[in-house]
Amino acid sequence: MSQSPLPFNYPLSTELYAPRLIPKDEFIVSGHRACQGCAEVLALRHALKALGPDTVVAMATGCMEIISSPLPTTAWAVPWIHVAFENAAAVGSGIEAGLKILRRKGRIPDKDVTVLACAGDGGTADIGLQALSGALERGHKMIYMCVDNEAYMNTGIQRSSATPFGASTTTSPAGKVSIGQATWKKNMAEIAAAHNIPYVATACSSYPLDIVEKMRKAKAADGPAYVHCLSVCPTGWRIPTEQAIRYGRLAVETCVFPLYEVVGGRYRITYKPEKKRPIGDYLKGQGRFRHLDEATIAKMQARIDEEWEKLQAKADRS
Amino acid sequence: MPKVNLSVDGKKIQADKGAFLLDVCRDNHIPVPSLCHNEALGSDGRCRLCVVEVRRGNRTRMVTSCLFPAAEGVEAITQSANIALVRKTVLELLWARCPESDEIARLARSHGVSDVRYQKDNDKGKCILCNLCIRTCESVVGVSALGLSGKGPVKKVTTPFDEPSETCIGCGACAFVCPTGHIQMWDKEGVRNIWGRKFEMAACAKCGTHFAPLYQLEYISKTSGASMDRLRTCPDCR
Repeated sequence: MSQSPLPFNYPLSTELYAPRLIPKDEFIVSGHRACQGCAEVLALRHALKALGPDTVVAMATGCMEIISSPLPTTAWAVPWIHVAFENAAAVGSGIEAGLKILRRKGRIPDKDVTVLACAGDGGTADIGLQALSGALERGHKMIYMCVDNEAYMNTGIQRSSATPFGASTTTSPAGKVSIGQATWKKNMAEIAAAHNIPYVATACSSYPLDIVEKMRKAKAADGPAYVHCLSVCPTGWRIPTEQAIRYGRLAVETCVFPLYEVVGGRYRITYKPEKKRPIGDYLKGQGRFRHLDEATIAKMQARIDEEWEKLQAKADRS
Repeated sequence: MPKVNLSVDGKKIQADKGAFLLDVCRDNHIPVPSLCHNEALGSDGRCRLCVVEVRRGNRTRMVTSCLFPAAEGVEAITQSANIALVRKTVLELLWARCPESDEIARLARSHGVSDVRYQKDNDKGKCILCNLCIRTCESVVGVSALGLSGKGPVKKVTTPFDEPSETCIGCGACAFVCPTGHIQMWDKEGVRNIWGRKFEMAACAKCGTHFAPLYQLEYISKTSGASMDRLRTCPDCR
């Protein structure tokens, strides 16, 4: 497993020239039907650039599936299969096992083919969790990427277990007696890390170089790799479309969604904000959080601080 | 662009005349390893890992595919006992040069090199002299702050006269492109360290985060015409 070739954490100034050095090939091409300002498809695009042309994708039902494959068109330039909501990981592991056998029998050229199983937060944290856990436990050499936009967005913004506390969705509406989502976001990256797999990382659609780097590492991992990518959804988060990148950056700068990786059980925070912004910066302007009062925001801040401290402690111990 | 017909591993391929064999192979999903090639920077023939066998008429020879132009009737082979031997030797030598590099070690092991039989260097760091950083600095950033110095065993990548460079803008693109992680760059307390030079980092006028070297912002302002007032605010606060 290769270690990070970078001794630093993608400072902003690197993003000026380095983007010209990443692969130019596109594997999810333009013409798809994502909403304006969709950062999820952006994250997927950068992830695929890192994986290259020899990739097979198994994708669960979700935003990225419906926007990329309305019959009779497709946005995919790599082999791609749409599978049911719950079994992206199961199909991914099957593809990996099948390719291995075909290579062994000499039926296909003997070269590395990357298998990417991909699902949204609903397909990962809710419906596909047992299939994912099984695939990670069996140790298939595949990458599982969760593109997390924090609710079931394509069906009309229903809550999932990855929806953050306090967010208003159509099935957790904020009102007189409810503050919206009443439970905390499920920590999928930690659940994946608990399987003791070689590589687990969190990424965010607003940090494309980070996604490219982490997917390269995931590809090189000797076994299953899990990448959890926070993908900003202007439609569901109720933000202006041109603010999608900004809110992803704020999620990381406020430590609501820290970027880190777990390589063979060792934690490393890959982006440490110099100055942690207050959570209010992130919540402000998002329609899904606009009903929150000061007391609730203070409660969320306390929880975020606690989780950030815990993560730092883990990184310090590693 | 006129087309030529050639074959790679027995597969008939039509390619642009003069396109380099490495690009032709990769466009046709035939994997060829390399360390010094980048799409944006082109070929340099430094790492010697992309060797393939090329037959024309009765003559077979070993060439670096990243610099071999596609021509009519070329028959190339990317996998053979000879090629595997050359690649293994190249990787073993690179590993002996850079014993600390995890990336070289991983690549070497995946090509069946289990150990280094040669004497290991301890003064080269992780640098394999691939020239990617030099080419990036010249053609992507446009400042040419880096170059090669010395010959033979003392050859290395460095700034002119090994002194902190006046032209370097501290952007870090060289550290990004480095395939082995040799180039060290770190930010600490508002100062960036790279290539032996310390850069004062600009603090954002609004949030106070140190986000880019001041010298780099001045360079951007000079080349793009953007005002320093605008550049001094970090993109998150703009």
